[in-house]
Amino acid sequence: MSEVNQELDARGLNCPLPILRAKKAIAGMAEGEVLKILATDPGSVKDFEAFCKQTGNELLQSQSAGDGFEFLIRRQ
Amino acid sequence: MKAAERRASILAVAKVLFADKGFYAVSVDEIARRVGVSPAVLYQHFASKEELYEAVLDSLAAPRETYVEAALDGPDDFASVLHRITRVFIARVEEDPDYIRMELLSALEGGEIAKRFFASRWQSIVDYIEYSLQELAREKRVSAVNERTAALLFQGMVREAIYSKCIINAERYQEISLDKLIGQLLQLFFQAIGYNTAEKA
Repeated sequence: MSEVNQELDARGLNCPLPILRAKKAIAGMAEGEVLKILATDPGSVKDFEAFCKQTGNELLQSQSAGDGFEFLIRRQ
Repeated sequence: MKAAERRASILAVAKVLFADKGFYAVSVDEIARRVGVSPAVLYQHFASKEELYEAVLDSLAAPRETYVEAALDGPDDFASVLHRITRVFIARVEEDPDYIRMELLSALEGGEIAKRFFASRWQSIVDYIEYSLQELAREKRVSAVNERTAALLFQGMVREAIYSKCIINAERYQEISLDKLIGQLLQLFFQAIGYNTAEKA
């Protein structure tokens, strides 16, 4: 399990807000640090795959958690 | 015929029929007959007419990845992001105006179908506007506007531009591209809500 350096609660938000928030959060993090994102939008699974592909960051984990989803992204 | 090809031909025929007559006036039997298969074969690909309708809507939409790309590809401010995702939306509609025909018919059919259409198309963009305006209002970067009404203003002007350019082919707007028209409308929208582009220090 990777150490989480920052957490972003994007529950209740729909695309594009979670990815814009994630972009902002990651911009303020150091290389190698991990951002944990909580989301409820079912489309967020695809969105964060696309997000990592687009931004070059690493999607460490994408899984269902409670009523929503949890993502771990490592800043590259 | 391979399963994927069969599925694609069912989708293509269903799209034309739904865009021509709406959801309720088209039966699964009619779609199957036009494709040249039995209804049983059609049900192997789509469990219900509702599922087929959803799949047609999905096939007409730009992929989510394209929206993600548009949202990330440039400045993060409200006006820039809204402009980019609106451009993705209208480019796809312009490519295949059957989308807008289905929307017009869904509005007349009302109820569940119209709701479904809204959810699959406008919901996320309208939510983005409402949520962003709430935030911008807290930072005093927009006038005191009702964000829900503002989102409706946006939806109305974009939809009307699409009708004029893609359905009616209005002579009045022939000289201007849909993309440019949307750009001008967005400028008017930002003026109307008193949007201040300067970030608060």
